[in-house]
Amino acid sequence: MEMELFLIRYLHVISGIMWIGLLWYFNFVQIPTMPKIPDEQKPAIGKHIAPEALFWFRWGAFFTVFFGLALAWRSGYLMDALLLEEPNIGFGMWLGMIMAFNVWFVIWPNQKIALGIVEAEADAKPAAARKAMLFSRTNTMLSIPMLASMISVQNPIM
Amino acid sequence: MGKILESLPLTIVAGVVLTIVMIIATEAIYDSQMSAPEAAVSDMMDNM
Repeated sequence: MEMELFLIRYLHVISGIMWIGLLWYFNFVQIPTMPKIPDEQKPAIGKHIAPEALFWFRWGAFFTVFFGLALAWRSGYLMDALLLEEPNIGFGMWLGMIMAFNVWFVIWPNQKIALGIVEAEADAKPAAARKAMLFSRTNTMLSIPMLASMISVQNPIM
Repeated sequence: MGKILESLPLTIVAGVVLTIVMIIATEAIYDSQMSAPEAAVSDMMDNM
């Protein structure tokens, strides 16, 4: 049991670093830098780097939530956390699940349009790019309390 | 909200504010779960 919990937590943390690391890469590096990149070099980001980063980003989100829920279930606090009877971890779990929902059902579909991965009218691309950016920023904002919640399980804040 | 999210520094500030709100809410939930004797002991410990 101890080994199982260790393994699930380890995979949860590794997936989480992959996810939040790429989220912060997009928001702290790629989005602010894009306007400064010469037009002829932009396809390197849009056609090569961003699609690859988005692949690891969305699967990182999926497996972070998957292993997080598995850890809570195998540790016996899943329902208490989801019902906020254990709010320390419960808030973090809800924030993480909202963020993962945003990744799969808002950011990724809109990025597919913005990057030209799926067919769309030309004027749909800027709107899709803006929507993806705003939801990515929303996730960056939510990641701050989410991580505080996760850490507070080991080291209570108050 | 869109104006806040367009600015990375403001997004971070909003995240910190949300963290404080979450901490207060967490404390409120734990306090509401305490029985009367537990609450009395907790108050006593806070005042020491």
